[in-house]
Amino acid sequence: MSHSVEQEATFNLSDSASGQAMQASARALLHRGFIGAGGVLLIAGFGTDCIYYTTALWQWANFSAWLITVGLIVTFVAAILLLIDFATGRAGRLNTGSFVMVTAAALLSLINAFVHSRDAWTSVVPQGILLSALSTILLLIAGARGWSLAISRAPGDRP
Amino acid sequence: MRTTSLRPIAALISFAALAACSSKGGDPARQYGPNPYLPEPRAYLLPPMSVPEAIGWKAGEMPTVSAGLKVEALATDLEHPRTLYTLPNGDILVVESNGPGTEAYRPKDFIAGSVKARAGAAEKGGNRITLIRPADGDGKPELRTVFIDHLYSPYGIVLVGDTLYVANTDAILAFNYVPGMTRITSPGVKIADLPAGPLDHHWTKSMTASADGSKLYVGVGSNSNITENGMAVEEGRAAIYEVDRLTGAKRIFASGTRNPTSVAFEPQTRQLFAVVNERDEIGPDLVPDYLTSIRQGGFYGWPYSYWGSHVDVRVHPQRPDLVAQAIEPDYGLSSHAAPLSLLFSEGEHLSSAFADGAFISEHGSWDRSPLNGYQVIFVSFVNGRPVGKPTPVVTGFLGKDNETVHGRPVGLALDRSGALLVADDVGNTVWRVSATQGGT
Repeated sequence: MSHSVEQEATFNLSDSASGQAMQASARALLHRGFIGAGGVLLIAGFGTDCIYYTTALWQWANFSAWLITVGLIVTFVAAILLLIDFATGRAGRLNTGSFVMVTAAALLSLINAFVHSRDAWTSVVPQGILLSALSTILLLIAGARGWSLAISRAPGDRP
Repeated sequence: MRTTSLRPIAALISFAALAACSSKGGDPARQYGPNPYLPEPRAYLLPPMSVPEAIGWKAGEMPTVSAGLKVEALATDLEHPRTLYTLPNGDILVVESNGPGTEAYRPKDFIAGSVKARAGAAEKGGNRITLIRPADGDGKPELRTVFIDHLYSPYGIVLVGDTLYVANTDAILAFNYVPGMTRITSPGVKIADLPAGPLDHHWTKSMTASADGSKLYVGVGSNSNITENGMAVEEGRAAIYEVDRLTGAKRIFASGTRNPTSVAFEPQTRQLFAVVNERDEIGPDLVPDYLTSIRQGGFYGWPYSYWGSHVDVRVHPQRPDLVAQAIEPDYGLSSHAAPLSLLFSEGEHLSSAFADGAFISEHGSWDRSPLNGYQVIFVSFVNGRPVGKPTPVVTGFLGKDNETVHGRPVGLALDRSGALLVADDVGNTVWRVSATQGGT
């Protein structure tokens, strides 16, 4: 597991740093950027939850509700793109650890979207901010692992 | 309910439990009267909801009335009729109105918008007052005119001497009235501003006048369910105002009344009463809407507590000092029934059973399953106080399947013969309920 992650990281570095970018981007994983974008929105929701917790200013709770809702929509798009990555042979195999963490974060955030649809203080405290914190931890780890839920096929691999 | 410690596992288990079970409301009869049943408040992922589809009335369909009464349509094809008012010459005014509309602040607000549309509550109001002149005796209209046009979400209306006061959502207007008039074209004189935008969540401004005509009393609803739009927009809201009718000077007469949808004086004691719509989303049997006498300077709980000192944990920061002062209402009207009009009876016109007490229209729920309200009830009064259990007077607004709604009762008035008039803002009709015999 850690071996493959290392491989992936090395590949990514060479991808952006070297002159082989063109070759790699032709087979770049479609879902990865969307996981990153959705993840950032959901993490930002934890940030606005924290501000609401300290200030009790209602607009921060509204920001959280929007960030979580849009974050979930973007993550859903990423899930479809992940399927396309597999269907088109861009993805080699599932990056199981990241996949489990992002899926768990998405499910927690789905529940959290309903919690945040409550009115006033209890839309955030205590359950909403707790769910935001848990999904933030999972997403930060997934982010550190490069956001990718699949291992891309190395250039030259047979489909 | 007051736990704020973060207990992740317990919290997650409770989510699963909440998502799995749907909660049904109990018998509303337990929540009528001075000591309503109050279950523990709950928090939901999806609040209980049951939205009947508005289908209107087909030709020949009409509400059901209790024994000894008959019902007929006095006027149809109105534009969202809300408040009714009978002038001394017998002319009937119909305030056709709806809210000015609110912006969606949260993802949830988009869903709430479609819910309202399905239930027939999103329809545009006429922003006008229609005058109906019934022919003497038989209740059939001989004249129907647009009495005042181009109003702004009007609701409350009261005649004092030769001045007709209309409460738009943002101001009280005064119009000079001469008996027999069928149209007023003057723009009206603003005598006082009322809390309105931004947002204007509970937009209706109910209004009545004191017996001597010197003061107007105006019900102003909160700007949210339970402060979810911040405390700044609640400044001067969820209150009943006293307005000097000549100077326009106003002050808050009572507060903490979440949405005081109707204010009226009890005729024997001259005591001010109100019906108040209480908060949503903490259970199908919470919080009972209520009928209560209004004490000068009284605080009735919203937002910090309900039914006296029952704390609402959704409000932050909390105010134990105010909760300690909160007055328990006189008489529960059951949860989510949405009482919108309070009309004291004036003797035995309809029936000897309705001689002393108040008619109350229940607009009906969508925050609860099974549905509640959708009827006009009568609450008996003894010595100026509401007593006993209410009697249904006009029912049948719901379809037999309990999933469709023909109409929703709103404004009530007595016509000059003592017949009960009921405005129906989904059926766009004014119904006239009279005794089958007795020459009323």
